[in-house]
Amino acid sequence: MSDPTTVTPPPVPPASPDPRESRDRNPVGPIVLLWAGLTIVLELFAIFVPARVMGVAASTNMADIKRAVTVFSIAAAPVAALVWSIALYSLLRWRHRGPEPPTQDGPPIRGNTAVQTVWLLVSGGLCLFLLVWGLAAMQATASTASNPLVVDVTGQQWLWTFSYPAAGGVSSNVLYLPVNRPVAFDVTSEDVVHSFWIVQMGIKIDANPGEVTHIGVTPDRRGTFAVRCAELCGIYHAYMQTQVRVVSDAAFRSWLRSGGGRVTSAATHGTPQPAGARASALGGLELRRGNG
Amino acid sequence: MAEMTIADAPAPAPAAGGIMRRLNVVTGLLAGLVLAGIGWAISHATLQNGTYGSDQVTCITLVCWLVGFLAGIGAFVGPVRWLAGKDLTEDERLFLAGKDQGVGRYFRFTTDHKVVGIQYLVVGMALFFVGGMLAMMIRTDLLTPGSKLFGLQTYNSVVGLHGIIMIIATIVMVTGPFGNFIMPLMIGARGEAFPRLNALSFWLLVSVVPVLLSAAFLGGIPTGWSAYAPLADQAPPGQDAFLITIIGFAVSVALTGANLTTTAVTMRTRGLTWSRTPIFVFGVVGSAVLGLVAFPMFMSSQIFQGLDRTVGTSFYNAAGGGSVWLYQNLFWLMGHPEVYVILLPAFAAVLELTPVFCRKPLFSFRGAIVGMAGIMGLSLLVWAHHMYVSGWAPDLNGSFMLTTEMISVPTGLLILVIIGTVWRGRVWTRLPMLAVYAMLWNFVIGGITGVYLSDVPVDEAMHGSLFVTAHFHYTLMGGALTGAIAALTYWFPKMTGRMLNEKWASIGFWTAQVGFQVTFLSMFAIGLAGLPRRVGDYPPQFATGNAVATYGAYVIMIGMLIYAGALITSWIYGVPAPASPWGGKTLEWQVPTPVPLDNFEVLPVITSDFYGYGENGAGPPAVPPGRREPAEPPEPVEEPVGAQSAASQPEGSAQ
Repeated sequence: MSDPTTVTPPPVPPASPDPRESRDRNPVGPIVLLWAGLTIVLELFAIFVPARVMGVAASTNMADIKRAVTVFSIAAAPVAALVWSIALYSLLRWRHRGPEPPTQDGPPIRGNTAVQTVWLLVSGGLCLFLLVWGLAAMQATASTASNPLVVDVTGQQWLWTFSYPAAGGVSSNVLYLPVNRPVAFDVTSEDVVHSFWIVQMGIKIDANPGEVTHIGVTPDRRGTFAVRCAELCGIYHAYMQTQVRVVSDAAFRSWLRSGGGRVTSAATHGTPQPAGARASALGGLELRRGNG
Repeated sequence: MAEMTIADAPAPAPAAGGIMRRLNVVTGLLAGLVLAGIGWAISHATLQNGTYGSDQVTCITLVCWLVGFLAGIGAFVGPVRWLAGKDLTEDERLFLAGKDQGVGRYFRFTTDHKVVGIQYLVVGMALFFVGGMLAMMIRTDLLTPGSKLFGLQTYNSVVGLHGIIMIIATIVMVTGPFGNFIMPLMIGARGEAFPRLNALSFWLLVSVVPVLLSAAFLGGIPTGWSAYAPLADQAPPGQDAFLITIIGFAVSVALTGANLTTTAVTMRTRGLTWSRTPIFVFGVVGSAVLGLVAFPMFMSSQIFQGLDRTVGTSFYNAAGGGSVWLYQNLFWLMGHPEVYVILLPAFAAVLELTPVFCRKPLFSFRGAIVGMAGIMGLSLLVWAHHMYVSGWAPDLNGSFMLTTEMISVPTGLLILVIIGTVWRGRVWTRLPMLAVYAMLWNFVIGGITGVYLSDVPVDEAMHGSLFVTAHFHYTLMGGALTGAIAALTYWFPKMTGRMLNEKWASIGFWTAQVGFQVTFLSMFAIGLAGLPRRVGDYPPQFATGNAVATYGAYVIMIGMLIYAGALITSWIYGVPAPASPWGGKTLEWQVPTPVPLDNFEVLPVITSDFYGYGENGAGPPAVPPGRREPAEPPEPVEEPVGAQSAASQPEGSAQ
């Protein structure tokens, strides 16, 4: 980022109503000023806005993601500002109005090796920075903690069922998790592809029929957060959501002992039948012709 | 076979054109409907009661329609005549090219590349209109929480139809009109390499449009345009219409791609070496080649889907040993190159017109080519970034992140080429050039938000949210469509023979741009806040963002309608255009307007490239003699560009 104070504005030629004369003065100084100004505005936006819009983080995953979004925004701001400030300056200073084409051609610049090299190096460097940042974050996520709480997640049209194998198959349609304990989700689907998304924990993994996928998280904030389906899964996709309640370890244990939550199965699930869909006798939409 | 009997019907009339004289879009419709009726009657009688009956009947009926329509319009006359040993005569060829036929040639199987270009333009705009109205239905439904306008099932179908119609429209929006009309002129060719394939590719596109729209009456396509299995396996017969559409459209894209590529490689005029070939040609060829690689993937994904639906195979059915990841891989092997199939020609059109309006050579012609080549190569290696959270291959996420982030380097190079060309140029602020600025604004936003999504951990939060929707609308609509509007505004005088009413076109354009920012910036916000895409209802916390997005969408609609109105009225009533209204140097501006059937009386010989602005004596005589002599006085008397050619314009233009 350039410091605007170091920039000496170029000598301004005598005021001329003809833009064609002012066109030829050195454009670098004013563009750097524009760039610096625009960069400051965009940086303020980058620092304060995106992470705030993303809401509270209920896990270190989400905190990392919010930080990544902020850092990427900070890195991108000068690039966007550079492109836009050159564009803006060219519109203000170099424009030719009117119904007729300009009578003079511009300078025949067919390239500039230095500029192109620097541009490639900088964009390559930014790219490398993003890659390293992303790989490091992935590494941190991948290092699984020992002794996680295993939760089996099953998606079906259009509800989630969570069961706790270690607690003898206690299951629930609302996800209960103890705070600050690593959780390992084993996710599958009974019908179509769903996507298991705990919005404020920044984790998402598809629930596929016939496969089990895995994802882990450590909730670090008590409260109630949203679980949503992030893959179009049929008519009630919009309503395939539930809650995750992150509670103290003691509260979690007593909830488990009480036998968990009331489980809604597909048979008792109260969603009305879609008119055009091919519903099976169970009420859920199954593959209309499973060969298995 | 029915199409043979139609095509082989003896032509008693000795007039030039033979049987082709009798065939047009009406006979196509009739033959298509008749054959579809026959196909439906037979298949319904024999298959309807089977397990897969309704899907089989739907597929057979729709394929019969396609074959019947193409036969009825005369697509098979050439091959059948050739097989019968009676190839077309010269008179018939000229008739096929639309010689002396007036407006009627736009409704026939016409082989002239200029006719095909105009046909693509009109059909593309019609598709944008339908797709845009579907978008308005989506946004109206989302105006307030609660799905009020129509049911959720209809909502899903509207989303799917909007998606696929816009995908088809954006794929053809530059390559179709400008690749066909302008590119052969640009390379100094009298036509395209395979004129009949050219017409076939267009009429195939036309024939799949009713198939796609029929889905609305066959239960819809409640799967979104991505049509993920096994959701698509649950879907009603509308899904069969969808997959027949994709298969037909993929063939159309392949034909266009093969034709344009062969044309550009083999038919450049003397002296037009690759290093002198205009950048737009590279963009069109790059897009066509990429499409040739990508669309077979989509086609095969839908053929497997069709087999799963009609004969009970299990390509995607886990219970039968299939895999949902097979579908996703095939789909995205098409899906990501396809983004660049759309972007490359739009970008190339922008690179082509920027030097004209800045009166400067393209900044780093080679950089532009390297950028496009880099995008083409990398775009084939990034598909699984759409599958980071699918669970397919978590171990490969890192490598797909690498390729995805690398693609920002060649893309950035193209941005540099635009910026470098504008640098110290004489920026002539007409609408085509201003549209380049709008594109630059949008595409930078689309590109940067794409960087977030390329990051695996961030994508774990963003995937499947409206943030993604906003991102690809910024690239494909804000970037590619805005570039296509720049191209249309630029080449409109050459293609239609009329000047565009720039005042009203500008009012419409900027209105739409403002609405666009409002809609999709708020969509970024609600996506970041956690609203999934493709939901017909949402919690109250997203109400404000959705309402703002909807009002913005209405502004887009108003702007687009104003632009379209300016386009249509100018096309009919506009001032006749001179041959070269912008003073461009490329060859299409050196031929008269309207362009003669053979394009060039004498094929030009090229001695330098077309970007020699400001270089004394360089470049072909691009503007009418007398303009832009090397030693011009500082304040020359400006004379109208192309005044001489304007004076010689016939009253009636192409339209």
